[in-house]
Amino acid sequence: MSLSSRMIIVLTTVGLISGGFLAGVAQLTKERISLNIQKEIEEAIVEVIPGTTQNKKLYQEEDFTIYSGQDESGSTTGYAVQATGIGFQDKITLMFGIDDSLKRITRITIIDQKETPGLGAKITDWNAFLQFWEDRDASGQLTLRKPPAGSLEDLLPSEINTITGATISSQKVLEIVNLSLEKLKKIISEGKIAVEGHDVN
Amino acid sequence: MELVAIFISAVLVQNFVLFYFLGICPFLGVSKKIDSAFSMGLAVTFVMSITAVVSWLINNLILIPYSLEYLQIVSFILVIASLVQLVEMFIRKISPPLYQALGIYLPLITTNCAIMGLALIASLNEYGFVETVIFGFGSGLGFTLAIILMAGIREQLDLADVPEPLKGAGIALIVAGIMALAFNGFIGMLT
Amino acid sequence: MSTKSIGAEYLKGLWDENPVFRQLLGMCPTLAVTGTVITGLAMGLATTFVLIFSSLVVSSIKKLIPAQVRIASYIVVIASFVTIADQFLKAYFYPISKAMGPYVPLIVVNCIILGRQEAFASKNSAGRSLIDALGMSSGFILALLVLSTIREILGAGTFLGYQIMGAWFKPWTIMILPAGAFLTLGVLLGIALAIERKTMRN
Repeated sequence: MSLSSRMIIVLTTVGLISGGFLAGVAQLTKERISLNIQKEIEEAIVEVIPGTTQNKKLYQEEDFTIYSGQDESGSTTGYAVQATGIGFQDKITLMFGIDDSLKRITRITIIDQKETPGLGAKITDWNAFLQFWEDRDASGQLTLRKPPAGSLEDLLPSEINTITGATISSQKVLEIVNLSLEKLKKIISEGKIAVEGHDVN
Repeated sequence: MELVAIFISAVLVQNFVLFYFLGICPFLGVSKKIDSAFSMGLAVTFVMSITAVVSWLINNLILIPYSLEYLQIVSFILVIASLVQLVEMFIRKISPPLYQALGIYLPLITTNCAIMGLALIASLNEYGFVETVIFGFGSGLGFTLAIILMAGIREQLDLADVPEPLKGAGIALIVAGIMALAFNGFIGMLT
Repeated sequence: MSTKSIGAEYLKGLWDENPVFRQLLGMCPTLAVTGTVITGLAMGLATTFVLIFSSLVVSSIKKLIPAQVRIASYIVVIASFVTIADQFLKAYFYPISKAMGPYVPLIVVNCIILGRQEAFASKNSAGRSLIDALGMSSGFILALLVLSTIREILGAGTFLGYQIMGAWFKPWTIMILPAGAFLTLGVLLGIALAIERKTMRN
């Protein structure tokens, strides 16, 4: 057998065996992987709308998804909005919960971020940032409180605390949420999704 | 002007060497003289730009439509290995002195994490075709920029009194650290 | 064909021929994922998996592969095991996989692995190659642990996520940043060489 034929046969065999092997592994892990991604979203929804046990996807476009949350009895607990926008370093993906009056933000959680470690990355920290998002007034736009207030009680209902040393990351999160609120209200007023009797004005 | 943002980000803000830590082997190995650094940078930029195109095509025309994403790693690295082989033969033909100058580093471009990293990151960010090309070209330039800067500094360092244990890779890494700090200043440039 | 004793075959990977500190290989992942100990450890274990199985396969089939296509063949073998490691992490350790980003697939271009196939597995028996792979992996994990421990403790005051520095400690944020990785590795390399010179003089 000539050298060239041998080379081709060897390479093809190695390729085929690897390919087959990998296809098998991919089959075995495929379900678990998509479950992991799904689980992440479900956990986020439960976190941002307290009391939720199930959810329904109401609306989806690129970088923006709306879910509704229900408790065991099936009544609506609120809505969760997942949005991706530009942060300081790279994209930020977050989810915030809004109650069924659509006037109050229940909580937010950061799903994906690549901000500066130790500084901007503190947007994922409960003590430094996330706790100040609890129970915010969402009837209008939210604003940033600079310099940061000492505690949650010192903030106005529509204000968010900035993280010291990470003003821009904090601001970017605020922008994403404000933009999402506008989008949410617009989508509802256009009747694109069914929300139990709402006059969003 | 999202394309401009991707380009500037690749060259400065998220520089492949100083931010993503890709391409360290050639970065440390070929950065001793500005000429060879420049040549290496050019070769890498060339391979990266072509890899960007080919990897996007394979990813979007074959892997994703046929649900073969798990073959990404194997197909990307094979493409890169072949491309480098081709570039090597090409350079050997049109410029033997350049070929000599780059020596063993040319085949080593295959294991240059920067090229593989480029294909993977572009795929992760789900860039479109044009965006991937700009990203590939920009990253190559970023690598070239970093390696030339490093060579310039090292040429001066040769004349300085560096402690024995730090000579070579040690001091090069420390210099890279300071450069990374400097480049940190570019963050937020695009906001 | 190597003639070292089994013990020496293993131990060389830890110090004398430590892939990171002495051979200066595999620095991309060493710098990239050592911001925290958990990611450093995950990278070390994933690389160990790839190195061990690649070495076993390559040393077992080395006689069947014509020299001209050996690099291509090694690459396919390595890339396959990297894919398996990546899929496994995504399925069973999703948060860690996300934290490591594109660096697990990048194991395929970790010079340590291809280097060992070319320098050792293709010239030695499967048994020896296994010991060599274990030694090199241990050396690599050692380097990753040293670097990530320094970076996490000084950069965030934690170890494996647990706060170990008291409130008095203001973290050196630079340690978690790329700059900190470069600086720390540079200093560690200097220390390693200094120790080497001293022991040589004695």
